[in-house]
Amino acid sequence: MKKTFLVISLLAATAAAAYAADDPIAARKSLMQANGAAAGASAGMMKGEIAYSPAVAKAAIASFNATAHTFGDYFPEGSDMGADTHASPKIWEDRAGFDAELAKFQTAVAAAMQASGKDGPADLDAFKAAVGPIFGTCKSCHEGYQVRQ
Amino acid sequence: MLRKLATIAVLAAIAGGLAFYVLTMPRTLPEATLAALPEGDAARGETMFWAGGCASCHAADKAEGDDRLKLGGGHVLKSGFGDFVAPNISPDRNDGIGAWSRGDFANAMLRGVSPAGAHLYPAFPYTSYTRMKPRDVADLWAFLKTLPAVEGRAPGHRLGFPFTVRRGLGLWKLLYLDPAPVIDLQTDDPQLLRGQYLVEGPGHCGECHTPRDVAGGLIQAKWLSGAPNPDGEGRVPNITGGKGGIGDWSQADIAYYLESGFTPAFDSVGGSMVEVQENMAKLTAEDRDAIAAYLKAVPAVDATGQ
Repeated sequence: MKKTFLVISLLAATAAAAYAADDPIAARKSLMQANGAAAGASAGMMKGEIAYSPAVAKAAIASFNATAHTFGDYFPEGSDMGADTHASPKIWEDRAGFDAELAKFQTAVAAAMQASGKDGPADLDAFKAAVGPIFGTCKSCHEGYQVRQ
Repeated sequence: MLRKLATIAVLAAIAGGLAFYVLTMPRTLPEATLAALPEGDAARGETMFWAGGCASCHAADKAEGDDRLKLGGGHVLKSGFGDFVAPNISPDRNDGIGAWSRGDFANAMLRGVSPAGAHLYPAFPYTSYTRMKPRDVADLWAFLKTLPAVEGRAPGHRLGFPFTVRRGLGLWKLLYLDPAPVIDLQTDDPQLLRGQYLVEGPGHCGECHTPRDVAGGLIQAKWLSGAPNPDGEGRVPNITGGKGGIGDWSQADIAYYLESGFTPAFDSVGGSMVEVQENMAKLTAEDRDAIAAYLKAVPAVDATGQ
């Protein structure tokens, strides 16, 4: 049941890109939610709470990939204020720094996509090796560009 | 009559000055405590080093890997009283604390007093470290002695009058420096007590997660319920079970967050907590569980000002 829920969450990532192009805050938040769900599924398998499945692993990595390539498009000037956004003003003050963090995310995901192949990483160890570097980039970006309320 | 009044005024001024002098005297550890300080075990001290988060302020900003062990100082802590700059605490004899004795270090950690007998500013969180066991302080000292010496001094604090008068801190300490536990847990569960020790002592979590009064002292009735972020943006979150807090996190969720940096919703750790979490990841799983158990046991307090 939990697994079904997670897979559905992953699929939501694709839908997110089409969602509310005129509402960048809502769009980027939905992308990050899908990203979080993908991280949750990944961690669940790495912790052994969910049995490892190459298909779910690939869905998670593909979800990270979709977010990595679209997330940065939803931070136009003036979208720093708004309902419940955790985006730091530093994103607009230091756009190059933010883009560099996004690039790290994209690079880590590209390698994972490569490792994932047609059917997803063959076993849990291969998956851990692919996803570990992606996880590192979450903190690296949130350290400078996310604000807690 | 006038002369009598003048005499009384002068005497009162002298008495006041004397009282200030006595009340603000830096108080070092008793001789017996200093004499009983053990040699210290560097391996055990490393645990205290990560629990205490020394590198977060004393290593260079953005340092990674082995550079986190180079404690040349320089990190700036902003506050309503001015900017505090973390000093060099590497074992360099001239610029760091290499010439200190073990007792000097214990006086700094447990009493906030420098080897020269001056009050240290509580931006250095000795208000928490004062709850540490002398043995752990000695172990930490042994570990710090193994780290590389770094040359160069960090710039001085940038404070306005009257905060430049260190002597005044003596009064502040009378109000706020107290080694007693913050929360009366009424338990003898060793896991809870270990968690309490790590959070209230070396971990000094309350220094950022608890709001302060106008004098800069922690409001213990609002322990860990969140506070304005001194860096300016956002807030430091409530980590009790109260409103705006982490009541819906399980003990395992908290321990996993400290290990991995992921919240139950798989948001990742952000801001200055990133470094703290990476330090917590270096503790044992037992210690992270203990911290989590303690956080589930503290009184639930609603976040204020939201």
